[in-house]
Amino acid sequence: MVVEKPWCLRADYAGGMLLAIDTSAGTSVAVVDLEGGVLSELTTVDTMRHAEVIGGMVRDALAQASVTPARLSGVVAGMGPGPFTGLRVGIAAAKAFALGAGKPLVPIVSHDAVALERYSAGHTGPLLVVTDARRRELYWSAYGGVDVLGIPLRSGGPGLAKPAEVPHADLPRYDAASVSAGQLGLLAEWLYAHRRPFAEDRPLYLRSPDVTPSTGPKRVTA
Amino acid sequence: MTADAASASAPVPPPVLRRATMADLDAIMSLETSTFVTDAWSPAMMRSELRSEHSYYLVAERAGSGEPGVVGYAGLRAVNGSTDADIQTIAVAPAVRRAGLGRSLMLALIDEAERRDAREVFLEVRADNPGAQRLYASLGFEQLAVRPHYYQPDDVDALVMRLTLPMQDALRSAHTNSRAEPLVLGIETSCDETGIGIVRGTRLLANVIASSMDEHARYGGVVPEVAARAHLEALEPTITEAVARAGIRLEELDAIAVTCGPGLAGALMVGVGAAKALAVALDKPLYGVNHLVGHVGADLLDADGGQGREIELPTIALLVSGGHTSLLHVRSLTDDVELLGETIDDAAGEAFDKVARVLGLPYPGGPQIDRVAATGDPNAIRFPRGLTLPKDMAKHRYDFSFSGLKTAVARWVEKREDAGEPVPVADVAASFREAVVDVLLRKAIAACVDREVPRLLLGGGVVANARVRQLAKERTDAAGIALRIPALSLCTDNGAMIAALAAQRIAAGHAPSGLDFGADSTLPVTDIQV
Ligand SMILES: Nc1ncnc2c1ncn2[C@@H]1O[C@H](COP(=O)(O)OP(=O)(O)O)[C@@H](O)[C@H]1O
Ligand SMILES: [Mg+2]
Repeated sequence: MVVEKPWCLRADYAGGMLLAIDTSAGTSVAVVDLEGGVLSELTTVDTMRHAEVIGGMVRDALAQASVTPARLSGVVAGMGPGPFTGLRVGIAAAKAFALGAGKPLVPIVSHDAVALERYSAGHTGPLLVVTDARRRELYWSAYGGVDVLGIPLRSGGPGLAKPAEVPHADLPRYDAASVSAGQLGLLAEWLYAHRRPFAEDRPLYLRSPDVTPSTGPKRVTA
Repeated sequence: MTADAASASAPVPPPVLRRATMADLDAIMSLETSTFVTDAWSPAMMRSELRSEHSYYLVAERAGSGEPGVVGYAGLRAVNGSTDADIQTIAVAPAVRRAGLGRSLMLALIDEAERRDAREVFLEVRADNPGAQRLYASLGFEQLAVRPHYYQPDDVDALVMRLTLPMQDALRSAHTNSRAEPLVLGIETSCDETGIGIVRGTRLLANVIASSMDEHARYGGVVPEVAARAHLEALEPTITEAVARAGIRLEELDAIAVTCGPGLAGALMVGVGAAKALAVALDKPLYGVNHLVGHVGADLLDADGGQGREIELPTIALLVSGGHTSLLHVRSLTDDVELLGETIDDAAGEAFDKVARVLGLPYPGGPQIDRVAATGDPNAIRFPRGLTLPKDMAKHRYDFSFSGLKTAVARWVEKREDAGEPVPVADVAASFREAVVDVLLRKAIAACVDREVPRLLLGGGVVANARVRQLAKERTDAAGIALRIPALSLCTDNGAMIAALAAQRIAAGHAPSGLDFGADSTLPVTDIQV
């Protein structure tokens, strides 16, 4: 099978620029274009300051690409998996930006962007993408390879597991500390160009809020 | 590549405009040379500009320590007796762009040109800077001519633009209105209500609230993660509904406002992230404001959408909800709020919720206790009044404590149950409610008397309590204190009060917050805006 490199692809797609935001690990914001590739990308691996940096990074990514909101054709949101508090900041920002700019939201699984990056960098065959889920747990997704268009084929996950219990232990594993919004955006461009479905508009927390329903009041007298 | 933003420091206060002095020369020059890389003025030119009596230069300065002070400047030249004025230069540091500072600087220069009796204001702008051209056009500048190859060595044309003074009535009023009565959208996500409000000055246009209260019922109290998840889901539909109800378009907004604290950190971050992105998408200034001061601001609004009113000041404010029990001395809504005291353990609403569980009543407990207490005897059981003993009144005069009360109620109920006796739920509820309300008002009235402030304002969800309202009326009447209670839809957490507070900050001339602030779960009330 001949696998074309994704960036060589040309479809009869007029091309539209996308703003992409991912806060499933650190914070990453990019402006991408099917023809022109990644026009700008800003990334920080800091996992404690998503809310602080998101606005300036969106502004700067647009400015560096010399793109106004009106010229975008959509806003890509990395839906995770990711630790909830940070993940939500990016999804909230993407949704609000899409609403403000009057553009559609494009949800994408964050791990798929990591896989795309690995395959674009030359990896072939199966791959296990792993990211930190905090509380001594990991998020994982398994890929069989890429399709003829170069789009990663997810065969398992995303899932959540303790380090010793991550499945597909036999696959070549890549532990990602950051997720590139540029790759996230490019993946969205290709999925769109080839009429493939996006992810669901649902944050991938993969964990329920850890609370237990109340069992009635506790006694205060012994 | 790593973003500059990632290394940005902690939130800093918004910039203030003031007249430039010679002492600002170095700061101005460093901004000038970094902004106008190829065609910056020389220090000598700038010095003579600053010195000239025909010049009027403003700097935008960030207060506080550490970060460089001057983040923007702009200059006007208006020769005495001449009918022409020129905008000489304007620059805003990259870190604070897209936050409305350029517009504030321009408006201040135009005001000055009018004061100097100019009839026309001119400026030149690079042909390759559409953002700046849009700003000037929105202020009423029209393109007059093109000066080819004006900017060297870049070889870029200059567009000459002109504003005729006085500004057209329509434009002028649009701009004065946008300062005196700005159209603001407020986002509130500090607890379990996703609140989106839209106001024009003090007129309420929309107040839409999505509450996740039902989802917390099975846990017997607000679960932060459940609340935060619900905010993310509710955000977009709630904004859309508020915009529709207000009958506006998002593009018409003058500013976006958001609660940045105090509150649940994860919940606040949903609102902050969304507000920042919305502000950038719409190119609107963003105001990060204090939730508790917002509760005071609720009194500006008429819940039915009528013209709002000024808050009579100074006032004491008693804010009581599931998350807060705070007593404030408000001298200026926009600039001077003092925390007199707050709860040292549970909030009053939380105490209602916990005692309701003890009595086997569902969540939220406040309304349930209120309902049951209606038929009970408030003097049946003498429950303790927290922090009201003389020694406590010396040290914790305006502070509250409700956890001891909750335990006392639980103990009393358990004793009855252990003895196999029926629990007189109505009497327990009425006596507990009386204890809470008595302490709340005793301390609030003491603050009014001590501070010689004959006004008391109530806010927060617990204000729904019938006995709070009744006793507040009785005791303020007796003490000759004017009582104000906003409509209940404005007392519980909502976005309209956040928008209303930001509108007052705008009218008072405060610059926007920029984009670098975070959520601060313990933001003090003295930080009215970040
Ligand atoms: N009639 C009432 N009497 C006493 N407390 C009440 C009443 N109605 C509501 N509450 C309490 O108000 C709180 C909710 O108010 P709200 O302003 O939404 O606060 P928060 O969102 O900070 O919890 C709950 O603790 C609820 O029990
Ligand atoms: Mg609430």
